[in-house]
Amino acid sequence: MYKVLPKTDLPKLIGRWMEQATVYAPVRQGDFTKFEPLSDPAQADLYYAANTRYPPKSLFLPQSEVMFRVKDGEFESTEDEVSSRVILGIHSCDTRALQLLDGVFLTGDYQDPYWAKKREQTTLVVLGCADPCETCFCTSVGSGPFDKRGADVMLIDIGDEYVADVRNEKGQALFGHLPDASRKQIDKSRQVQAAAAAGMKKPFETEGIKDKLYSLFDSDFWPKIQQSCLGCGACTFLCPTCYCFDIVDEAQRNERVRNWDTCMFRIYSQEASGHNPRPTNTERVRQRIMHKYAYFVELYDEIGCTGCGRCVRYCPVDLDIRQIIRSAQAWEES
Amino acid sequence: MNQLTFAIRQEAARILEENVVDVVIGFEVGTLPLKAQPAFITRKEEAEKLVYNGFCQNNLAAYLTRRPKEERIGIICRGCESRAVRALVIEHQHDRDKLYLIGVPCTGIIDWRKIEREVGENTLQAVEEGDEVIVTTRDGEHRFQRVDVLHDSCKRCLHPNPVGADIVLGDPLPEGDPERAWAPVLEFEALPPEERYAYFVQEAERCIRCYACREACPMCYCTECFVDHTTPRWAESMITPSGTQAWHIIRAFHQTGRCVSCGACERACPMDIKMTYLVDKLSYDMVQQYGFEVGASDEEQPPFAAFTLDDRNRFVR
Repeated sequence: MYKVLPKTDLPKLIGRWMEQATVYAPVRQGDFTKFEPLSDPAQADLYYAANTRYPPKSLFLPQSEVMFRVKDGEFESTEDEVSSRVILGIHSCDTRALQLLDGVFLTGDYQDPYWAKKREQTTLVVLGCADPCETCFCTSVGSGPFDKRGADVMLIDIGDEYVADVRNEKGQALFGHLPDASRKQIDKSRQVQAAAAAGMKKPFETEGIKDKLYSLFDSDFWPKIQQSCLGCGACTFLCPTCYCFDIVDEAQRNERVRNWDTCMFRIYSQEASGHNPRPTNTERVRQRIMHKYAYFVELYDEIGCTGCGRCVRYCPVDLDIRQIIRSAQAWEES
Repeated sequence: MNQLTFAIRQEAARILEENVVDVVIGFEVGTLPLKAQPAFITRKEEAEKLVYNGFCQNNLAAYLTRRPKEERIGIICRGCESRAVRALVIEHQHDRDKLYLIGVPCTGIIDWRKIEREVGENTLQAVEEGDEVIVTTRDGEHRFQRVDVLHDSCKRCLHPNPVGADIVLGDPLPEGDPERAWAPVLEFEALPPEERYAYFVQEAERCIRCYACREACPMCYCTECFVDHTTPRWAESMITPSGTQAWHIIRAFHQTGRCVSCGACERACPMDIKMTYLVDKLSYDMVQQYGFEVGASDEEQPPFAAFTLDDRNRFVR
């Protein structure tokens, strides 16, 4: 179902949502934007074309999340602390990432109640990317700037209006009262979508990447490409699909918390005995790349990277994952 | 190709061919127009990959403690890198005899954030032309005066010339002006305490504890950083104001008399956090109170690492 919303009416609509739910949108902070709960609809900055610096995965898997508290010797749940939310202006890559992470947190033998609760309580109003950045590569990893998978509503910017592709009941609740889009507006939204995807470069081919990486497991490829890597966590912390965490008892706070962790850190795989199965940066870099482009493919039949480009833009040494995949594909053992 | 790039390639090829070193650490063209990539050249034919320009934003000395101990390393050294090498040698982290320093007087690193703040995030091409930086984006060409887009640390650089290099390529540059270098420290110091604290809180609160600042720093080489130590735990593991503030304060203190003021920490930060203002104050105190500057000598230990009988503050009784 296609609805239409004049851009000038958006603040009013956000205000209406704010009566029922907490609304998150990109909010400008200095030189970049970050998803924040709005206190005023005017705070939402949807015209900032690039992805938010901090990934919106943090709204589902916060960097530090209290799992429970102990108060006066008694267990205290934190589960009810999430209420109804709308996330406005999330891009397709980040939405796709949430879908991929559903595979991790909601399928198989383990269901993560913290993730599940937040997913249930959230409506995703996705803003398609009419103008993808130079560092974006969503079309190379099986997605695109207007990928609708995972969206409750997809907004398409056609100039003075948004065409809203309302995908389900959750979306209907937010947009159902608006007028239907005209044939002409829908056609225009299709043109915008096609043009955006067509304008994107394709930095690498993913065909056969899983098997190629498996074949390189013990290769000299990894010692070579890891040389410039500093072993910081910028790429993984900004990554919308990296989900590793570490559970810590913060005794002074009487809290059990889980914090983002990263395979790029030495202590991530350090065992209590002192032994480390990934003793050097070579094994750690290999892990990061293979998790996304081989192990994840094996487990979920999807590439565990959505092409948002954050790791490309913010790597302190410009160690570019696009270049790594391209080099891996081209690598021949000597 | 600029003259320095040409000279660096020649020298790198020579020392590889004559078996002076096993590897040359320099820069090559990156995938992003405003950033060069660190490069590790082991064969003389590959020396052609090396480039040198204002987009070379890392402190290459950070790699020295990551390389195999037995390796003989040739390294491109600007002023800050050469001072880091001296500091690392003094701290017994590297054997000077295994290093070959290719010195390059440095006119400063271009801060990609300053450029993107003006032109947006879609840079297609960037070149230096004399005192100008010419950036091409989707909407056309933008020209900047180099001096306007230098990284802040480079603007206040005191020593652009390499120290203790085995060879210096390019002409020496005038030394920096101490008054200009220390002005930001004095200005910050003059603010009321609550304003200084507010600034510190505002910067530290964006921290995501990725430790890019630590890893980019040539002087942060501890096998186990205090934040990674769990028994006992020195800093809260959570992203709380106290945890991140503790990180920023202790990191700064550990740099006292060791920081080479290269600004690599700030350039590495994915959250644009300002942090050099903390260590710059400590460096200023080192100069004022101990007359010590990192890299000025190739044997003097940092004051906080040394003890002598004529130590001025004899608090040990």
